[in-house]
Amino acid sequence: MNTTFVKALSLEKSPSNVDLDINDFVKSASKVIMPVGPITKFAAHNPWADMEQQSFEEVARRLKIISDIDIYPSHSVLESAFKRGEINQEFIEIRLQQWLDMKSLDLPGGAAIQYCRAALFQDKQTFEYSPKTELRRIAKELLRLKYEIPKKHTVQTYSKRIDKESSDKITQILNGQMIKWCKLFLDESQAAWSMPNREKGFYSSWRSLVHYDPAVSSSIRKRLNDLPREADQALMEALLGLEISFLEIQDYLEAHLLALPGWAGMMLWRSQQYDKDMNLLTEYLAVRICMEYALVKPYLPLPQKKTEDNIELLESLIVSWANWGNLPIKTWLQLSQKEIKARLTLAYDFDQIVRNRILLEAWEHTYEAQLMNIISSKSRNAEENVKPTLAQFAFCIDVRSEPFRRKLEEAGPFETFGTAGFFGLPIETCQLGSRHSHPSLPILFKPQFRVNEFSSEPNFKSYQQRQQTVSLLSNTFKKMKYNMSSSLILPEITGAWLSLQTIARSFFPRGTGILFRKTKEAWLRKPSTQLSLNRIQTSETELPIGFTEEEKVHYTRQALNMMGLIEDFAPLVVICGHGSHSTNNLYASALDCGACGGASSGFNARVLATLCNLPEVRKALNEDGICIPKETVFAAAEHITTMDELQWIYVPELSNKAKEAFDCIQAVLPEVSNQATTERIVKLPSSIISSKNPKAEAQRLGEDWSEVRPEWGLARNAAFIIGNRELTRNYNLDGRTFLHSYNWHKDEDGTILGNIISGPTTVAQWINLQYYASTVVPHYYGSGNKTTQTATAGIGVMQGNASDLLSGLPWQSVMQSDQEGYHDPLRLLVVIEAPKEHVERLFDQNQTFLQKVRNGWIRLASIDPEGNWKSWH
Amino acid sequence: MLNSLDSGLLPVVFLILLAISAMSCLILLYSKTPLSFTHIHVGLSALPPFVALLALFFNNEPIVVGPLHFNALTWLVAFFVLTVSLIVQRFCIHYLLGDSSYRKYFALLTFTTIADSVAWLSNDLRLLLLCWGATLLGLTLLIGLKKQWEVARNAAKTCGLLFAFSWGILTIAIVWLTQATNHWQLSNVLTSESLLQLDSWERTCISLLIIVAVVIPAAQFPFQRWLLDSVVAPTPISAIMHAGIVNAGGIVLTLFAPIFQGNLVQIILLVFSSISVLIGTGIMLVQVDYKRQLVGSTIAQMGFMLIQCALGAFLAAIIHAVLHGLFKSTLFLQAGSVFQNNVSSFNTKKPLSLLTIITGSLVGILVGIGYWLTSPEEVYQLVSAFILGWSVSLAWIQLVAFGLSRTGRVAGFFILVGGGSVYFFIHHLLHSVLDGTVQKSIQSPFIAAILIVLMLLFASVVAILLTRKHLSRFYAIIYLWLVRLGEPHNDVIESHPSYLTQMFSQGGKLR
Repeated sequence: MNTTFVKALSLEKSPSNVDLDINDFVKSASKVIMPVGPITKFAAHNPWADMEQQSFEEVARRLKIISDIDIYPSHSVLESAFKRGEINQEFIEIRLQQWLDMKSLDLPGGAAIQYCRAALFQDKQTFEYSPKTELRRIAKELLRLKYEIPKKHTVQTYSKRIDKESSDKITQILNGQMIKWCKLFLDESQAAWSMPNREKGFYSSWRSLVHYDPAVSSSIRKRLNDLPREADQALMEALLGLEISFLEIQDYLEAHLLALPGWAGMMLWRSQQYDKDMNLLTEYLAVRICMEYALVKPYLPLPQKKTEDNIELLESLIVSWANWGNLPIKTWLQLSQKEIKARLTLAYDFDQIVRNRILLEAWEHTYEAQLMNIISSKSRNAEENVKPTLAQFAFCIDVRSEPFRRKLEEAGPFETFGTAGFFGLPIETCQLGSRHSHPSLPILFKPQFRVNEFSSEPNFKSYQQRQQTVSLLSNTFKKMKYNMSSSLILPEITGAWLSLQTIARSFFPRGTGILFRKTKEAWLRKPSTQLSLNRIQTSETELPIGFTEEEKVHYTRQALNMMGLIEDFAPLVVICGHGSHSTNNLYASALDCGACGGASSGFNARVLATLCNLPEVRKALNEDGICIPKETVFAAAEHITTMDELQWIYVPELSNKAKEAFDCIQAVLPEVSNQATTERIVKLPSSIISSKNPKAEAQRLGEDWSEVRPEWGLARNAAFIIGNRELTRNYNLDGRTFLHSYNWHKDEDGTILGNIISGPTTVAQWINLQYYASTVVPHYYGSGNKTTQTATAGIGVMQGNASDLLSGLPWQSVMQSDQEGYHDPLRLLVVIEAPKEHVERLFDQNQTFLQKVRNGWIRLASIDPEGNWKSWH
Repeated sequence: MLNSLDSGLLPVVFLILLAISAMSCLILLYSKTPLSFTHIHVGLSALPPFVALLALFFNNEPIVVGPLHFNALTWLVAFFVLTVSLIVQRFCIHYLLGDSSYRKYFALLTFTTIADSVAWLSNDLRLLLLCWGATLLGLTLLIGLKKQWEVARNAAKTCGLLFAFSWGILTIAIVWLTQATNHWQLSNVLTSESLLQLDSWERTCISLLIIVAVVIPAAQFPFQRWLLDSVVAPTPISAIMHAGIVNAGGIVLTLFAPIFQGNLVQIILLVFSSISVLIGTGIMLVQVDYKRQLVGSTIAQMGFMLIQCALGAFLAAIIHAVLHGLFKSTLFLQAGSVFQNNVSSFNTKKPLSLLTIITGSLVGILVGIGYWLTSPEEVYQLVSAFILGWSVSLAWIQLVAFGLSRTGRVAGFFILVGGGSVYFFIHHLLHSVLDGTVQKSIQSPFIAAILIVLMLLFASVVAILLTRKHLSRFYAIIYLWLVRLGEPHNDVIESHPSYLTQMFSQGGKLR
């Protein structure tokens, strides 16, 4: 019906206009997926970041229809949380009542609430009903009464529609082909023989190769013979050929993008990285839909979409009333028409999504109540510090900092602060001698400066030579492996060496790992280095290296303001980045700092500490009213989360007082680390089979090549607290909270709060939703079981033989075992310590944040100066 | 000192320890046993290979105990299979922790590898068939152990069918052989008197059947499908499959070597194995999935092992099978480090000068000729010398000529010499251990070796030409064929592992 419209449209407009149109369609369709970067720079992605203008429930319904996934936790997950007492029944009742009030159904005495309660709490969620004949008869009767069921609008890909009718599995074939072409095209591992014509772009190289592809039958290849040169043209033609109506184009593209969101997301990511790949996503869709067109052509035209089978739906509603509402089937015909309508509407509306939503919200509410109790149980008169603060530590907001900070504060006169681990420095970092630089900031932002690590020329040269010797071995191995003749004998040459290593790693994992690392370090002898902090002008296309004087002052001031450390400086201030250490782990970077784009934040910590020590910076800060005493020294350290250790990475010359503080820290650190490890290690499942002492076990976890859970990472994260440390100090928050220091007294115009919300809070929200999504939809947004993954194309992982490029966290990162979960899928609760008016002002200033709160992508509470808790969601 | 022991003692101790390790895996299977028992189980599993090692070095007098025969070859194979099993099970303790079939993996791994080692210890062919069948069954079950996952079930089905076919063929061959010779004991069957009872056509047929039976588990063309589809299995299962099971072909051919004497069947084997070497290497070159590259490499390596068998170099084949097994299992277990290994982030490229190429080639040629001259009368020695020379010249260029500094070059040189010494040492060691127990008198036509060398040379030249002229149509066709040969079948691909969502609802509980 609409095809003529499209044809008319394409005739009427000049071709260039049509091109433009299709790219716009692709652009808006691309909001349903997220860019997926390479796994080596694993950065947390909120899979729904571009859909936040819709409510969580709307997105859930949409994804359920298009991709058949549930983004609310399943009933069994919620049920088990309820049984553990993590969902307060009272809160369920409140939510349920709210929902019913909103519906205002006309049903006799409590029938509705009884039905709903049964639906929420009964174990059984699906029913079989017999005899069918009677059910069918009654359903037919009811249909005659003209009960209208609201119709759902769905757009499905043609291949999916054909799959439903026949056994040809077109979608599977199409997906298989796309996986193959994508991985060959995107390969970064430098396969010895790469895909020909890759540099011409995805569509062109595919177009030139597909004629020779023996994997598709010749009849299909023939249909792909006369494809247009340009991808957008080809996409348009294929859509026309499939007779997709103009109004449905976007939905149709979305359905195709959501079929393999990982590979499509990687194309999207590439298109944002390099100018030459700008239209990569259009090319991807062109290939996919051209191929689909060729595959489905024999089946065209498809029979008209059947209207939803009303009778079956009606039957299911009747059966659910019989089970949950104790309404025998026979009685339906005796009800008034109005009541029939009300009952059917209730059963229809109170569907699984609503039920799961109510339970999830009650779960979140329960957690909020618990957190509120912890925080407000505290007597608010801050205890007097007897001893003066000896040292101050600035940690990353990461939830793993919380236990460590707690132990550290217990151990001595130390004060700790929380701030985002990139310390507000929009930098790209480059390690000594490295060819690659790393954007060490949240993926929300783009780097603006580059900081290099360098050392004196002779030192660097000999270091580089030692480095090269190390890589000689692996390069030679690779070269011999990819050469036919030498590859045949390679096992005989290296077999003995490799098996020696294997045996050592298997039976002495800890010792071997440490030995290997120590030997390498001893051989490399990395020279002492400096950072290129002073501005060096580069060509315009490249990032400038270092900062100007004003920029140095600006970023230092901003960082100190953000962490709320602008007065009462202790003699020693330690800026702590954090990093993780694991072996044989494809997801190693997922355990590093999320605010630094999946790398250790030690480098940024060092940059900031160095900046803070510069006399000219201090002088300028002094003029702004931030007075850093002369004896105060800034140092940088790295919190190794796998080991609960603090390793110094930059300690300048210390003043006497700072030296005293430093010695004190050194004295307590082993014990702090020990306590933190003891608390943490029992939470890991491997503790049931290893009975070693915690420290040795932590070392093993980091070094063992067979370990799938070297640490829990940020699992179980649930809340983000923006406020003074006094609020949470001395309380065990169980490593579930991000802590950001904030003092509303010092933030009159709300700029700092605004920065915290748009930067660190968003990073935390993305991390939280990534954990949420990987737990709730492990096969789609997670990345499945680690043991059956295969690394592909040097960029990511697939499951089993081949699959979508999986972008989220693996099963083992959120699950205790195949049957027991670990991460609780709760949406992030943000708690702001500030008066009500400040939060309202924040909403005015930041509409995006308001939208997140309103649409249920984040939850918000605030504590005012009197200690009153207010929920904003 | 152990020589003085009763030579029957070690086999008996070995068998008792095998039984103990089998018992311990049964205990582990019992759901009330604490999971920390896995450590004890693995500890117990370390004993049999240890005894096999002792026997190998101190007591390799051939001895027949009941239906089993213990000699250097069978001790070596048992030691190797059980060691790989030990390593893999040790790996599984942490790697598979939390898996719903955790206990079953250990039980099946133990069961499969014990069956495998007993199969090659069997002198009685009925026991051999039984144990080999059990091994294949165990492997199929291991591949399909993630029952909830349709893809894994389908892959297990493919494997199971091919294995059953292979086992059936082997059974026919063995029954035929035993009926014709009237012996069930391998040692009796293979005496020259017994073999004389076979007609030459019978001998050809039996050889042919045996070859068909062994190329299937070795994933040779055209039976490579099962190995390609089984990438779906968990990493340690792939490790044991590629290390301990696929190389059974080499062992079977070595055990039955006397039958092949002077037989044209060897040529057939040679042809198919050579094709497999080409295809396998090709798959490795074009594939971008790490595990699939390893599969390609295994196909090529097994092809090479069978070429060695076809050329009569059974000793070399056994050595290759063992070292390849250890090599491949390590590469599988290291699958999580691919990205770390790949990112050699340091700028170390240096242009190749003509001089280095010439020196490299000269060194290679010298080593090759030198090696060949040590025993030019053996057919396989030519192939071996060619490959060795080729590799040395490559390694020389990579290790020595590429060095940025003197230290680098010196280090590279020492690595080269060290690697070479270990190579010769290991070979010498295994030669001296196996000497006398492995048939090595078979000679195949010299021309065969020359053809293999020519094939390798030709393939290398074609490969170089193809990669130089990237755009040629011929390259595109070859490339896409290799991709196609290495890709999994459609019914073992699933875009998202949706079985995971069902794990919760099937009686699952969250924490």
